[in-house]
Amino acid sequence: MKMQILGDRLCISDVRELGTANADSFREQARAALTPAQKDIDVDLSHTLFVDSCGLGALISLHKTACSRQGALRLLHPAPAVLQILELTRMHRLFEIVKS
Amino acid sequence: MPGSSPAFARPVTLRRTLACDLAGVRAAVQIVRGFLVEQGWGEGDLMSFDLALAEACNNAIEYATGTGRDQPITVEVLSDASQVEFRIHDHTPGFDWPEQIELPSPESESGRGLWLIASLMNYAGYFRGRGENILVLRKSRPSVAPVPKPRLEPERATTSVEKDAIISDMVEELSSCYESLSAIFRYSGELGQTGSLKEFARRLLGDLLRILQADWFVLRLVPKDKLELAVFAASEPALELEPLTPGARAEALRQPLEIEAAMTRQTVWFDAEKPPAADDPLAKAKPGSAGMAHPIMLGGRLIGTLTLGRKQAVGAEAVSARSGAIFTAAQTNVVTTFADFLAIQIANARFQEEQLHQRLVAHELEIARNIQRSLLPSTLPQVAGFSLAAFCRSAREVGGDFYDAIKLDEDALLLVIADVMGKGIPAAMFAAILRSLLRASPELTRQPSALLTRVNRLMFRELSDVDMFITAQLALVDGAARRIITASAGHCPLGLALTGAAAGTVRGFSPEGMPLGIKPDTIFEDETADLTENCRVLLYSDGLTETLDRNGKPFGQARLFDWLMRSTAGWRTAETLKDELVSELDAHHADAVLRDDQTFLILCG
Repeated sequence: MKMQILGDRLCISDVRELGTANADSFREQARAALTPAQKDIDVDLSHTLFVDSCGLGALISLHKTACSRQGALRLLHPAPAVLQILELTRMHRLFEIVKS
Repeated sequence: MPGSSPAFARPVTLRRTLACDLAGVRAAVQIVRGFLVEQGWGEGDLMSFDLALAEACNNAIEYATGTGRDQPITVEVLSDASQVEFRIHDHTPGFDWPEQIELPSPESESGRGLWLIASLMNYAGYFRGRGENILVLRKSRPSVAPVPKPRLEPERATTSVEKDAIISDMVEELSSCYESLSAIFRYSGELGQTGSLKEFARRLLGDLLRILQADWFVLRLVPKDKLELAVFAASEPALELEPLTPGARAEALRQPLEIEAAMTRQTVWFDAEKPPAADDPLAKAKPGSAGMAHPIMLGGRLIGTLTLGRKQAVGAEAVSARSGAIFTAAQTNVVTTFADFLAIQIANARFQEEQLHQRLVAHELEIARNIQRSLLPSTLPQVAGFSLAAFCRSAREVGGDFYDAIKLDEDALLLVIADVMGKGIPAAMFAAILRSLLRASPELTRQPSALLTRVNRLMFRELSDVDMFITAQLALVDGAARRIITASAGHCPLGLALTGAAAGTVRGFSPEGMPLGIKPDTIFEDETADLTENCRVLLYSDGLTETLDRNGKPFGQARLFDWLMRSTAGWRTAETLKDELVSELDAHHADAVLRDDQTFLILCG
């Protein structure tokens, strides 16, 4: 997983999987990378092959973090299978999803 | 299946176990994926299986408690030409699979696992057993399957021993399902013919014992009007135990198993490790048993409990017993199926019984109404210088009111009004007997108190045997002497309104005397009064004074006597006054339901 700070935005990428096994560490690492200057979070899902309900929970948690900073969480380029899960759980109504 | 390769016509299985550790889930899911790739499943389905299986395994691990954490999760996969089936065996306390799964609020960070499973698969069923539960997931193949190249890798292939074990389990479960289904179909066909629900339940549950290889059963039902569990059927006479009622117990003391199952609406298990309380009737009747007490529910309502048990294996036998389970998850499922089926049959039988009862009650009321009607004189005899009218209106549940007017000679009439305390046919029958006895004693008809004494002696035994009694009032009207002699057996006072010099308030006559059927040797007394010109005499039943208005206020004796007094103003016939009083009563009770018969006799002088 890579994290990069671009001004007021934290960009997370290269996430292979977002499931029960790594959801907690994903959330904690992201929060640790935030400085007071960032309000928005982008998660690039283009290389993400698997997201389960715990992974969704971690994304919702980061969404709340961004909202508390008057920012927003965006999900970038999810693969069709992951997009299907997001839509199935109505997450596309909560997050901004930038499709490929 | 059209389009599928013959290579997939035969079912292929995979069985994997994984430690109770979240870190191992993805690896297990990957192994299953590899296996299903070989079975020709497409990428879209595989993604669904990955996620559903991961969610199922995560739940199995996260909710394991106690010794369940030391036991592995078992995943079985069966893929064939038409579908794939997953069975995930967990060792959690289990939960009730919701009838409808709803998504949590968007802000909630958890609670989407079951939604995903149910959305991604065609079928999801959760079967709870003792110490082990099984989640079964199924998905059908798409109509056109890709043509894959079958390839077996040694590490992913199922060993023949595993295959034998799976096939043996499946054969056992299929056999249970077949037996339970065939038993249910057989009994469904027979139900209308046997007639006895008890016999039906006994035979159905006898079959269940055979399927489960259990030794005994007790079926308890909640009676319609009692808060208890009463034995309805049992596998042997020794289990026809006393009814159970929920009672306060010391916290440490276990409730009887069946009460616990009824109160918690959950299956309660028992064995040597978790035995029933020492004073539980089952502990005494079947010591050393292991089994389950299952609540029988229908539409959220408790119908009863079904308890099944078998003698617990000891020593070497216990070691060989299957993983210590009393009944497997599949067997528990069979019990649930039988209990659900039984609940429907019990509810149907009760409904039919209720319908029959209502028909019988309606029929009885009709008979009682006919008897009551037949007791009333078709025409009222009259006496010179007086007019007489009578009225009797039956309540919906016919009571035992009746009146009579017996002409003794040209100048004398015996008026009778009585109220048998009771409803329906018994009350009507006693009214008929009273009427006959009064008419059968002509030598006493001029002495009302003596007549009541005789009738009381004759009827006492029959009335007291059925805890019934009769209030009655007799009034001998002597037209020539313009005199009335009354005697009462605990009946409402006779109202007498006089005119002329004697005018004033209505006088209520209630001579001493207990109702008929209370004591065999009751002494009755006569009271005599002179009747003035244009006087009024009213004999009535308490249905008049107790007529309620819409607010529950009774008509009352004061209002009745007030009306009677006012009725003496001017000359009117008894028939006119009858209509006036009926109008007064109608105005009072309006559309309120009539609770008791309304009966009166009115004599105008």
